[in-house]
Amino acid sequence: MKKVLLFLSFLLVGNLLFAQQSQVLSALVGKLNTVKDYTVDARIVAAVPMIKIKEVNATFYFKQKDKFKVDTKGIAVLPKQGFTDLNKFIANASNYMSIESAGKVISGVNTVLVTVIPTNDNQDVILAKLWIDPKKTIIMSSQVTTKSSGLMTVNYAYSDQLKYGLPSSLVFEIDVKKFKMPKSVAANIHQTDKSSENDGKDKKGKITVHLTNYRVNKGLSDEIFK
Amino acid sequence: MFLNNTYNEFIKIAAKPRSYIGLIALSVLIGVIIFAMKADGSTYISFVTASFEQTLSFSGDIMNGNLIAFIILQMLIVHIPLLVALVTGDLISGEANMGTIRMLASKPISRTQIILSKFLAGALYTLLLTIWLGFLSLYVARWIFGTGDLMVLTSDGLIIHPESDVEWRYIYGFLTAYLSLLTVSTLSICLSAFAENSIGPIVTTMAIIILFTIIGSMDVTVFDSIKPYLFTTHMAAWRSYFEDPVPWDAINESIRILIYHNVILVAIALFQFNRKDITS
Amino acid sequence: MQNTPIIEVTSISKSFGSFEAVKDVSFHVNRGDVFGFLGPNGAGKSTTIRCLLSLIKPNSGEIKLFGETFSSNRSMILSKIGSIIEKPDFYKYLSAEKNLEIFARISGAQVNRKQIHEMLDFVGLRGREKHRIKGFSHGMKQRLGIAQTLLHQPDLIILDEPTTGLDPQGIIEIRNLILRLKTEQNKTILLSSHQLSEIELIANRMVIINKGKTLVEGDVSELLNQQEVLILLEVDNVEKAMSLIHSKFPLSSPELNASGQIELTLQKNQTALLNKELIKAEILVSALEPKRKLEDFFIKIIGA
Repeated sequence: MKKVLLFLSFLLVGNLLFAQQSQVLSALVGKLNTVKDYTVDARIVAAVPMIKIKEVNATFYFKQKDKFKVDTKGIAVLPKQGFTDLNKFIANASNYMSIESAGKVISGVNTVLVTVIPTNDNQDVILAKLWIDPKKTIIMSSQVTTKSSGLMTVNYAYSDQLKYGLPSSLVFEIDVKKFKMPKSVAANIHQTDKSSENDGKDKKGKITVHLTNYRVNKGLSDEIFK
Repeated sequence: MFLNNTYNEFIKIAAKPRSYIGLIALSVLIGVIIFAMKADGSTYISFVTASFEQTLSFSGDIMNGNLIAFIILQMLIVHIPLLVALVTGDLISGEANMGTIRMLASKPISRTQIILSKFLAGALYTLLLTIWLGFLSLYVARWIFGTGDLMVLTSDGLIIHPESDVEWRYIYGFLTAYLSLLTVSTLSICLSAFAENSIGPIVTTMAIIILFTIIGSMDVTVFDSIKPYLFTTHMAAWRSYFEDPVPWDAINESIRILIYHNVILVAIALFQFNRKDITS
Repeated sequence: MQNTPIIEVTSISKSFGSFEAVKDVSFHVNRGDVFGFLGPNGAGKSTTIRCLLSLIKPNSGEIKLFGETFSSNRSMILSKIGSIIEKPDFYKYLSAEKNLEIFARISGAQVNRKQIHEMLDFVGLRGREKHRIKGFSHGMKQRLGIAQTLLHQPDLIILDEPTTGLDPQGIIEIRNLILRLKTEQNKTILLSSHQLSEIELIANRMVIINKGKTLVEGDVSELLNQQEVLILLEVDNVEKAMSLIHSKFPLSSPELNASGQIELTLQKNQTALLNKELIKAEILVSALEPKRKLEDFFIKIIGA
């Protein structure tokens, strides 16, 4: 009996160990891996405290496994935790363990919450939470905490690139608590408010990226990314 | 007679070697800044964007001619007044020193016309210097660095102006910067009317600018009431065109104060020169 | 017309702080005069001249030029005056031609480049048109000053020490020029100078001021009685000569000066006769020269 129980324990633990990767996540990764490259037109709308910028048009280029380029005539402000960081992280299953649990309803969709925990300290990602639509195998929302950028929340929306899991819009929520103006900046002569720091009221900023006109798996030269 | 003498004044300015010091110095200074930015502009940009770069990344051509022009203006706007005063501070006292003032004042041209023609010539020289500054900082910089959106750091934060929305800001900015430099020119000419040598007015002009700038930057309540009336407080009004939204009321107030200064200084110079006994 | 005053100075005074530079000076200059304006250094000549050119405003008194005051018609007055005050100063970094162009442009007359070149030629600066003033000698600047003075054909010329720093040749040239301007062009000239001999030769009227005050004004010939001449005589036998002079020329008032020379006043036509008498009396004459009358007069007036 004891030997049976011990064997069953080993089996359970073994199963648990071998069952670390969420199946939903694995399916998502598999779907994302079907995208070898893409080009997409982007319209970037930034609403970040202490930054004033109008809408900017850009073109994003992506090529497996982690080549990414933003091409814009003007200046675009994007989250540092970019578009490929998360995908790059979850693409390599040996980097993490993932646990499924019941998620929340997002845009009428019952999601599965996949919590992704790195297995070593070398990763920039500390913790990632992904709310995934299990039926369509797409990310509805993510919350990623990194050493370099802190917490980033992204909400996803999709239209015609569902089969590839490529979103039609991304809404990034940025933490701006740490923004500070260098004191040596020439003063605004008309400023009456003496505070040169974010007064803490608007601690969150939002960057919305609208993505249209995907050209997927058309073949992109490496020259583009130089 | 007034226009004749203004033409004379401009001939004299054009013939003096010191008039070219300003133009050459400006060219060298801007050349050095452009070289530095070309060599290591990214470090400078990092200083500006450092506090944002933990969370954000900036894509696109930040280091373009529009930004270089802005950097040049920021750096030089303190130094250009000296280059202006170097020439305009000599316009009356230099003649007294040389002795030609008595030749001039014994001609059938009123002293008022003499002074006003010197002011006009000084204003034209200042305009030339401003145009040269604009040409080098904007057009040469654009030629070297290309053009693009303009990123401006203010005490309220970062403002990124689309390229299409930059040109008019620079035009108005340079016009207002010219008014600031014109005030310096007028001040130095006014001081020149009281002196018999050139060094005095030039040094005094710079001393006044430095003193007023220090008073303007000190965060002390006792100076708060006079700060709005110091012309140095308004010399940076050109930067306001790069705010968003543009504080038009505040800019107009600055322009008004600078114009008042010019009018008062001209009036003082006229009064002094008209009653002065010319003994040199 | 000849006696119409071009300059009328009436009781002008000027103080600089507590120092009275000019006190109650009056004189007039008629049209066509060559008017000598004399006084020792610091007498107030330059101050007075500067008042005439509106460079200095007198504290009191009145100045009329061409019948007008500066307050009523300054532009007209100055357009008719050409002047050199003290040393002529020019823009060192400009050429002679450019300097004259600059002053011509505000002189109230239309002067073209050809006239400028002709004027430069007139004052002996041909070939120097393009040269910068920086390289000019004092004499050349003085010539250029005269060119600047005459360029716009003024009616009244005011010259303050015009021969200062000139060589003897230059002094003669200036004197001849002044005479020509008077005789050929009927210019009125006010001339301030330390060269008393020049004044004596060319001026017809003069004023002497000292310590800011007018001492004497009038016709030169009347003031100096120019029919007479003061003679300085050096002889081997002074006693014999004095005795001869007392007998032959009783009105000459001979005196022995500190240098052992005999000073006497004779009519102009008696000089040759004196010489003849001395030779006849076998008195050896080592020197017989006219002493500057004006100089003597000047020193006497100033001293008094």
